[in-house]
Amino acid sequence: MDALVKKRIKQVLKGDQNAFADIVSLYQHKLYQICYRMLGNKQEAEDIAQEAFVRAYINLHTFDQKKKFSTWLYRIATNLCIDRIRKKKPDYYLDAEVEGTDGLNMYSHIANEDPQPEDAALQMEFQERIQYEISRLPEKYRTVIVLKYIEECSLQEISEILDLPLGTVKTRIHRGREALRKQLNKL
Amino acid sequence: MSTCPKYIIEYMHEYLDGDISREHEQVLKQHLKTCTACQEHMHQLSDTVAFIKSASPVTAPPHFEEEVMKRLPKPKNRIGVQK
Repeated sequence: MDALVKKRIKQVLKGDQNAFADIVSLYQHKLYQICYRMLGNKQEAEDIAQEAFVRAYINLHTFDQKKKFSTWLYRIATNLCIDRIRKKKPDYYLDAEVEGTDGLNMYSHIANEDPQPEDAALQMEFQERIQYEISRLPEKYRTVIVLKYIEECSLQEISEILDLPLGTVKTRIHRGREALRKQLNKL
Repeated sequence: MSTCPKYIIEYMHEYLDGDISREHEQVLKQHLKTCTACQEHMHQLSDTVAFIKSASPVTAPPHFEEEVMKRLPKPKNRIGVQK
């Protein structure tokens, strides 16, 4: 696979845009999976994964051909996902007071009969539940957990993808596992 | 478990990462033999890993490749420039 990818990269750099189709074809599922697990939404995952390939195409001349292409590609995708997650943060908070309601907050607007998060989790299908628990992880733990356990990247690869020291990657994986453990055992 | 040394949990994670030293592994094993709270913690961590690993692979939708190719900027005409 590496030899083919190298060949295609050289062709693209020489101006053969069609050669890029094979690169997309080879990595599309891996890249889409990272985006889907990070974002938890099919439309967004598709959009961001496509964007990652477009950026890879535009910046292909900056890729160091001595290095592993997938590492470089995953890095583009995870950065785009992290940006998207940060932009999505709500600009209001549930416990913030609603203007002109004298002490009422957004919690008061949520009907009491709404299932609690734990009950909701119990009613989910197993696969849906996995995605739900991943989505509840803070973004910096979610990224390493997805790369480690969904994409099965080595700790060294994760450190290169995220441009973080190996020690930091380990710490985040440890904390990510603890956070997930707590989520799962609250039930 | 509140009285157990903190490094025991660190060793659990080293074990799960597959990069625990022989000495640490011995200490961890000895401790787990006698401490049910830490055994429970270790089980929960292993279950957590198994849970996340049981996620089914997802695949890109059909026509994904085609859509990407449509989004690429138009190639410059390089004919006559290449040697």
